[in-house]
Amino acid sequence: MADNKDNANPTILNASDLPSRRRDSIAKKREDGGTGLFDGLVPSYNYLSDPFEYPLSSSDSDEDSAEDIDEQEIYDLISSISDPEHPLSLGSLAVVNLPDIHILPPTSPHSSISTVVVEITPTITHCSLATVIGLGVRARLEQALPPRFRVDVRIKKGTHSTDEAVNKQLGDKERVAAALENGTLMNVLRKMLSTCE
Amino acid sequence: MLLPQETSPAFVVKPLSTLSPPSNSRTWQSAPHPTLPLVATACSDRSVRVYSLTSFTLLHTITGGHKRSVRSVSWKPGTQGQSVLATGSFDASAGIWRREDQGLEENFTSPRRVESGEEEEEDDDEYQFSCILDGHESEIKSLSWSPSGQFLATCSRDKSVWIWEEIEDDNFETVAVLQEHEGDVKCVAWHPEEDLLASASYDDTVRLYREDADDWVQVAMLDAHKQTVWWVEFEGSGMIRLLRGDGKSLTKEQEQYLEWRERSGPRLATASDDCTIRIWHRIPREHSTHNSSNNGIPSIIRSATLDEDWVQETILPQRHERAVYSVSWSRRSGLIASAGSDGKIIVYQERWKSQTPNGVADDPTPNPDGTNGEGDSAMTEWVIIAELYSAHDVFEINHVCWARRADKGRRSDDEEVILSTGDDGEVRVWTLEEQVE
Repeated sequence: MADNKDNANPTILNASDLPSRRRDSIAKKREDGGTGLFDGLVPSYNYLSDPFEYPLSSSDSDEDSAEDIDEQEIYDLISSISDPEHPLSLGSLAVVNLPDIHILPPTSPHSSISTVVVEITPTITHCSLATVIGLGVRARLEQALPPRFRVDVRIKKGTHSTDEAVNKQLGDKERVAAALENGTLMNVLRKMLSTCE
Repeated sequence: MLLPQETSPAFVVKPLSTLSPPSNSRTWQSAPHPTLPLVATACSDRSVRVYSLTSFTLLHTITGGHKRSVRSVSWKPGTQGQSVLATGSFDASAGIWRREDQGLEENFTSPRRVESGEEEEEDDDEYQFSCILDGHESEIKSLSWSPSGQFLATCSRDKSVWIWEEIEDDNFETVAVLQEHEGDVKCVAWHPEEDLLASASYDDTVRLYREDADDWVQVAMLDAHKQTVWWVEFEGSGMIRLLRGDGKSLTKEQEQYLEWRERSGPRLATASDDCTIRIWHRIPREHSTHNSSNNGIPSIIRSATLDEDWVQETILPQRHERAVYSVSWSRRSGLIASAGSDGKIIVYQERWKSQTPNGVADDPTPNPDGTNGEGDSAMTEWVIIAELYSAHDVFEINHVCWARRADKGRRSDDEEVILSTGDDGEVRVWTLEEQVE
């Protein structure tokens, strides 16, 4: 088959070599109502208590379970995303790697906002789909994580020829929001994320 | 008299209300009506919601016009007897909507009038779609009417800024397509007194434009932010009155500074992904070059004389940890409010810098070469007077603005509230309260 893929012969990791806790991913539990792909991007604020009407003691189980989220769980959420041009997962292509995922705690006791930083490694340095992959990772995490997480997806330094431009796009909330209203792009993303069950 | 004590923050941003019912998806921006106690909110569900600032409830939902998120809304100033709203959407179009003002209805949440035919009344009550402005190639990010209402500026991811002129009702003409930016144009704003337009961009710059004979041209480029500039806004007119105070105790240097500020005119505030908010001012022109735009000089030369020197005056005390999406410069109090991705609302106040006897330069005006204002030579400083964490719980705040307070609890005609618009679909209303010790 005449193939114009950017990288027709990527290195593929064996599934048993991928980082795992050897148990069912917690991510599955989060998928209970996962019908709309980007439901998570439409904030579901209603379960949050209004801080002006209720005392702080109303912090519920949602908050408690949020504390459990660690790098492995983030990895589990995004490693199963399919590559847009190979029938393989981002984990097996080593596009996402556990050591390149970091969770930064709130910077102040007044804040409950944590930051997830994911650095992705495109399969080759000029991979034109890096932006789409990054968008898929960001969309997946914004969908699956509680809204107290800010998600920063970047291209790992030195692994891509235009990483700064891609990073700027992936960091631009308005561009991401507009991209997710684009039907063509949504179809690509839907396909990539269809393996995240 | 307005100056707070050294121990800032001296004020608290206190919740007053949440506009009800909220949207169930992200809200982007809110625009208070220029005269009525109303606020219009641009929503990602393709609608615009118009709330009362008297009762804090939803009055109207404008739907059916846009195919994608509504990103920006702007009320036309100076209209008589009707309200005119412009809406900018990710569907690349801008819409113009009209509604006849109905007396005091907005001021009192009284039952609908019943004197005339009811059906007719219902129709009159809604915002009517009046025309669509097509031309941008991709998402409109922001739009803004000029203070006179003559021009409407729109900007887009297509890197362009368009200026539209309403020649007659619902007949808009494109008077300029400005393509100076190298990236998405995120925000447009007009000078409060002059037909001077500013735009902020993904290319990290801010640009200013003016009309030169028949063409609009770039007259300045502001280049200091390290990341996308999300917001740009001019200071109100005549705000130096706040520094003048009762005028009794000003030093000669302070008087000179105010005179200089008067010639310089309203300043500019910009907010960026680089977490900073910067204040810029114009280097005043020599008198001879003023008002020379139509004196017969060939336009190529005239363009050069139109160029303006805008320089960074200061960076506001840095308290945001993530992108700052919006700043609002109160036209009444001169206070600046900011908000962004970190969910905080910060309020800043300008005050006279306390002067050390040997630290004051002979000439208090900033150096005309652009290295002005910063460091010891600055006559004023900005201090944080209030800081609020998690104003929308854990959600990002996309927009913040000042509005005239209109509810029953209003303490003076001049009192203002802060409106914040968030990813949680809520518009929250805040008052600024003096901290009780």
